[in-house]
Amino acid sequence: MGADVRITAEPIDNGRCKFLVSESVHAGGVRRFASPDEARGSPLAEAIFAIPGADVSEVIVSGNLVTVVKRSPAPWPAVGKAVGQAIRAALAGGHPTVASKPAAAGSATADDALYERVADLFDSQVNPMVARHGGRVELIDVQDAVVMVRMAGGCQGCGMADVTLRQGIEAMLQQHVPEVKGIVDITDHTAGSNPYFAAAKK
Amino acid sequence: MRLLLLLPTVTYRTVAFVEAARRLGVDVTVASERPSTFERANPSGLVTLDFADPAHAAAQARTFADTHPLHGIVAVDDDTAVVAAAIAQELGLRGNPVAAAAAARDKHQQRQLLAAAGVAVPRFELRTIAADPERLAHGASYPCVLKPLRLSASRGVIRADTPKAFVAAFERLKRILENAGCEMRDAGDAGQHASHIPHPASRSLLVEEFVPGREVAVEGLVTQGALQVLAIFDKPDPLDGPFFEETIYVTPSRLARTAQQEIAACAQAAVHALGLREGPIHAEVRHNDRGAWLIELAARPIGGRCSGALRFESRDAGGRMRDASLEEIVIRHALGMEVPALEREQQASGVMMIPVPGPGVLREVRGVDAAQAVPLVEEVVITMHHGQMLVPWPEGSRYPGFIFARGETPEAVEAALRAAHARLEFVTEPAD
Repeated sequence: MGADVRITAEPIDNGRCKFLVSESVHAGGVRRFASPDEARGSPLAEAIFAIPGADVSEVIVSGNLVTVVKRSPAPWPAVGKAVGQAIRAALAGGHPTVASKPAAAGSATADDALYERVADLFDSQVNPMVARHGGRVELIDVQDAVVMVRMAGGCQGCGMADVTLRQGIEAMLQQHVPEVKGIVDITDHTAGSNPYFAAAKK
Repeated sequence: MRLLLLLPTVTYRTVAFVEAARRLGVDVTVASERPSTFERANPSGLVTLDFADPAHAAAQARTFADTHPLHGIVAVDDDTAVVAAAIAQELGLRGNPVAAAAAARDKHQQRQLLAAAGVAVPRFELRTIAADPERLAHGASYPCVLKPLRLSASRGVIRADTPKAFVAAFERLKRILENAGCEMRDAGDAGQHASHIPHPASRSLLVEEFVPGREVAVEGLVTQGALQVLAIFDKPDPLDGPFFEETIYVTPSRLARTAQQEIAACAQAAVHALGLREGPIHAEVRHNDRGAWLIELAARPIGGRCSGALRFESRDAGGRMRDASLEEIVIRHALGMEVPALEREQQASGVMMIPVPGPGVLREVRGVDAAQAVPLVEEVVITMHHGQMLVPWPEGSRYPGFIFARGETPEAVEAALRAAHARLEFVTEPAD
């Protein structure tokens, strides 16, 4: 394991990049790490936070997707190669790449309460709205008051998915669950096969 | 501070502009021609405007701004540039005169204004698709180029070297225009039913002189009519036809400094001739031993994902270097925010619009990882989805993806782009 792992970088902007890995990195749901302290005990997250000069501020691991947020202006090619090495090393290490989510306590309890409220909002309002365009938004997790979602159906790969995320879902969260601090889309949009709006112009 | 961002639902530019606005901390209202399902839930953040009718869109924007004051407006393509101009005029925002934006969108109007102002442009004649092509062919000079008045991405642009080739090109462009007629819309067509009625522009075409030479793309920002060139991209693959699908853009330009100065002066003259006053421009300019020739100028930023090849450096108030994207600069300008010193990064940079490999239904793209692994390559983005139709030029206008690279020299960047492209394999099936 490790040497044959294929990793594709998909920068969102100079601060955030998704890394699509050809095999599962973490099968136990979503883990989000917002500091090196939180990453302790999770080899992959520790290694990514330790990348010199990257000033990584956040690592999110879910299934075969690793999302990295950095503060440094360093371009993704340099940082991305180090992230790729960290992923390969973690997969080859023979141990879980990230530790399981700790038992509910403190902020985790608050996250659980937020999860319920966000899930209610998704069920009652968000998903009925995106369903009109054949879409679906799955609530993956809430960690440290940050909501993680995955888009599917007409939303996956849709040219307006970011508008739906920012102007739709995030705005509704701010209105109905103001304790939420942010939202992260962990969708592999390149795999969308039936987007509602497909970009068509040069 | 609230920005009105005009995003057609087919644009590639959504993420770049929405995220740039977020980074700048400005409130955004996204306007599209089709309603978002969240519009009622977020009435200040989403609005539907009639992009087919700029005057109507301006009235709609006025109503919207009565309850949600707007401080700037940004358009991302040729059509919304005209809508943005109408709204800017209605609301007193920074923008271009409507006539200038409309002239920039229409290739014939543009040619007329540029020629009248003495800007070097190819000799041109307006023809209708009802004309007899055999007769036109005998009266034409060769080589010539037949092109539609409005379609983007060089769709429908065909070179003809002989009368026989002219007739074939004419018939082919006529079919493209008939198919595309309903995509060209604007005021005066028929309001909300405009999309069912072919636009007059779809019944006309330009026949113009083919101008040999090296072609470049100019990216610039206009402030009070003065053009600041942000980047000149070389196009190292000759665009000699018969079709004009773009491939590689690399900056900085390897042309001589004097040639670059002539190109910049030509673009500035075109901006002046069209009457553009504010905002981004994207121009295609050819250069040969007779100087710089304006091929086209659009009142919008570079299209597709290509802006990813541009990165600007500036110092913040604390003296720290920070990156700025083209979209951030465009938004800052639109809102009247301070625009930091516009120095493109030190590295050479380039993008390849991946050529359409042939007609068919896309089933798989192989070699993306191998392409990504080529030194200097930053990103390989496949924007077409499996199951979508690949349509070659001149009928097509959609690239299957983009490759980005950065390096010490333009030569190294160009080589990296070609090496990465060589590793890609597109698996297609014939269309039904």
